Amino acid sequence: MDLFTLVSLILIIAMLIAAVVAAEIKDLLSAAIAMGIVSLIVSILFYILQAPDVAITEASIGAGLSLAIMIFAIKHTERWEK
Amino acid sequence: MKRILGGVIAVLIFIVLALAFVHIPFGNIDLAEYHYYNPVDNEHTQDSVPQHYLDEGKKETGSTNIVTAVVVDYRGFDTLGEVTVLFLASTGVGSIMYIFEKEKRRKVRRANAVVETASKLLFGFIILFGAYIFVHGHLTPGGGFPGGAVIASSFLLLYLAYPRFHAEHKNLNIAESLAGLTFVGVGILGLFLAGYFLYNFLPFGLPTYLFSAGVIPVIYVAVGVKVGSELTGIVDAMMGVRE
Amino acid sequence: MNWIFLILEIFGYIFIGIGSFFLLLASIGLLRMPDVYNRMQTATKATTLGALSVLFGIGLLDLNWMPKSLVIALFILLTAPVGASALARASYKAGIALWKGSVVDKYKEEKEEE
Repeated sequence: MDLFTLVSLILIIAMLIAAVVAAEIKDLLSAAIAMGIVSLIVSILFYILQAPDVAITEASIGAGLSLAIMIFAIKHTERWEK
Repeated sequence: MKRILGGVIAVLIFIVLALAFVHIPFGNIDLAEYHYYNPVDNEHTQDSVPQHYLDEGKKETGSTNIVTAVVVDYRGFDTLGEVTVLFLASTGVGSIMYIFEKEKRRKVRRANAVVETASKLLFGFIILFGAYIFVHGHLTPGGGFPGGAVIASSFLLLYLAYPRFHAEHKNLNIAESLAGLTFVGVGILGLFLAGYFLYNFLPFGLPTYLFSAGVIPVIYVAVGVKVGSELTGIVDAMMGVRE
Repeated sequence: MNWIFLILEIFGYIFIGIGSFFLLLASIGLLRMPDVYNRMQTATKATTLGALSVLFGIGLLDLNWMPKSLVIALFILLTAPVGASALARASYKAGIALWKGSVVDKYKEEKEEE
């Protein structure tokens, strides 16, 4: 197993854990932050797969703007899922 | 229990559909003649389409960044559609949040002096960086969409630092409409000058220089301004406080 | 002239080593520190120093990258403390208590003086 496979495997496992956390956790703020982590790891994966254009877009929109918009939606409504 | 059952049913439905779709051909081609047909030169080649982009992209569009060549030149019409979808999303968010805002007024809390000063310092630099990304879209990775998102995030910084700040909707609308008009105008100019919508009618110039690749930089600047003003409009609808 | 570049490269690797050591310390501190404010200061101070050192080392490895890495270093120097201060203030306002071993709370003292 070379370094590239190892690094991408670790990133993919971390991303899956974050995605499961985002789906299962009852605290919506933590779920939003887990979604941000998923976006960040996806953008790193895009970068190491040599697609820097998509990586920049994913990092700025997925991990930046949409996370802020989600947090503001939670601030307007409720934090805990019933 | 319910969730596990639901998951099992979903997986079963997926497997059945996948097994069905494996055997259905979409279109009717002879696999032996699987090739790329070039309608401009009226010739058949054995190359695949991606290989054609990689080999001939720089010559045909003048753009150093092949992704930009595909997004703006070969598939320029799709980009026009994408920008339109983003415009519709921004309009929808604006109209829904407008009703929402009218009903309740939020209490505002001031940010601290450190954040205010730093955002005042950084705002210009972040706008400059976004403009750099979309102006150099045909040379370096990036382009209109990331550049516009970076510009919108600089406005987000201002909204966080100054709770009473809100961008003038009139100016955002003017910037957005002018950018869209430029995109469509360049396309129609290509239709008049050469017979194709979005034809690359300007001279290509030397590759790897700023003024190269014909109309690609013009279109990407328009896309950057359009995406930036639309996303800023969404941020404003979510966070702006009306007095 | 070749030996100058060799020395620069050696210094660059030394700086990268120092930077990664401080980043390692920062991540250990993030795990070991008792409360939000202590974690915040490891995550900011040590990480800023580590990142600046790594960026300077990368600039020394290839001098063409020096201007870019210095600009990135300046940007980190401007943004990281601001973010940490905003986070710390927000968690103080949200009512998260200090660790029981903390000895000084300047913000509270100032509030009481007013």
